[in-house]
Amino acid sequence: MRTRYSLFGFLGIISGLFLVIISLTSAAADNFDQLRKDAANIKTIKARFMQKKSMKILSKPLISQGLFYYAAPDSFRWEYLKPLRSVVITYKGDTKRYIASGGKMIEDKTGGVQAMKIVLNEIAGWMSGKFDQNPSFAATLKEGAYTEITLTPVGKSLAGMIEKIKITLYKKEAAVKSVKIIESENAFTQIDFSDVQINKIISDKTFLDVE
Amino acid sequence: MKRIFPLILITIFLASCQSLPVINAPAQSADGKIFACPSPFLKERYRLIHAIEIRTAGDTRGAIIGVTLADPATRLISCAIMTAEGIVLFDAEEDAGLLKVNRALPPFDSVDFAQNMIDDIKLIFFAPAGKIVEKDNLPGGAVICRWREKNGGWIDVLSNQQQGIEIKRYSSRGSLKRHIKFGKTDKNIYQNIELQANELYSYSLLMTLIEAQPVKEKLLINRAQGKKK
Repeated sequence: MRTRYSLFGFLGIISGLFLVIISLTSAAADNFDQLRKDAANIKTIKARFMQKKSMKILSKPLISQGLFYYAAPDSFRWEYLKPLRSVVITYKGDTKRYIASGGKMIEDKTGGVQAMKIVLNEIAGWMSGKFDQNPSFAATLKEGAYTEITLTPVGKSLAGMIEKIKITLYKKEAAVKSVKIIESENAFTQIDFSDVQINKIISDKTFLDVE
Repeated sequence: MKRIFPLILITIFLASCQSLPVINAPAQSADGKIFACPSPFLKERYRLIHAIEIRTAGDTRGAIIGVTLADPATRLISCAIMTAEGIVLFDAEEDAGLLKVNRALPPFDSVDFAQNMIDDIKLIFFAPAGKIVEKDNLPGGAVICRWREKNGGWIDVLSNQQQGIEIKRYSSRGSLKRHIKFGKTDKNIYQNIELQANELYSYSLLMTLIEAQPVKEKLLINRAQGKKK
């Protein structure tokens, strides 16, 4: 069960990163306290993302594209458009995952959603900008041309799954630049964000209707 | 009635099992020509990426992305399974019968999973090892070629106008264990593949090609930690 939790914990953490990182958009902040204050002003987020998966078996990164929506306090939609269409939706605490099958979106029945719920509760802390207070990670913040936050797993739950997570934030613009999840020396996932829209109206339908 | 019920179940079960068909004819077609066996197999090193839908009892359970790196000349296989989110659930390779699992997360961490997966990949992409023991033209114009495996099992490769190319693996007792269908297409033969596995818990995989790419460089695998089959 712990390993299963770890897998979906990993899933949840990645999804949580979308939430937390984008919510920490006022990256001019020079410490975690400031990031927490800035996060409190975020009501909605909409963004495109491009995910590049690199690993030894691939000669070039496998590119996935999708959309991300968030509405405070706890609704989000994380949607991959290609190459494999899938959607994770959380609306008022209810989480579901859907996959494309025969031209329709059908609910994922692997049981991972329940585990994701547990993880999303943990991520709720991150939502409020408590970035350096998650016991699963040690967080460091570095200022340079960009603001760079590095998360290193502390406990055993993510051992062998994640080596490090690097989040890069633009310093002046209200936008997240990228998230890099390093699994090992040869395997990492780079997620680049674009068209980030903060506090624009997002219909509830976005979190209810999977199609 | 209670006593009869299990018998009915067994009868239905046996009736639903497919068994090894008999091949009688020699390796010549009706007009006397020696025919070629269907060959849906790789001719050169390839990297293939598929979207894979997992089904049990007719219901779709989940979807994953599968990456296969295969060299038909050396029969070397390297493969990985990941989620849409990019999480690598499984990563393994086999060279000359040496299996090395680099990563295996639930539900892909069972003892037999790695070897079964490698065997399934080889069944799809590599011509069966060994010699053809039988060939035939079946009624309806189908062509069938049969290989005998070292473990006593059988592999049939069939081709006909209606179904396209199919591969069937039978146990040494003649029960159908795997049934692979290649979708009829003008595109890459690996565009659509359906694999039906008949086990204690049967399942099917529907594979849709995302990307196929010939590989120029030689594949190398660290055999130090491999496990002999």
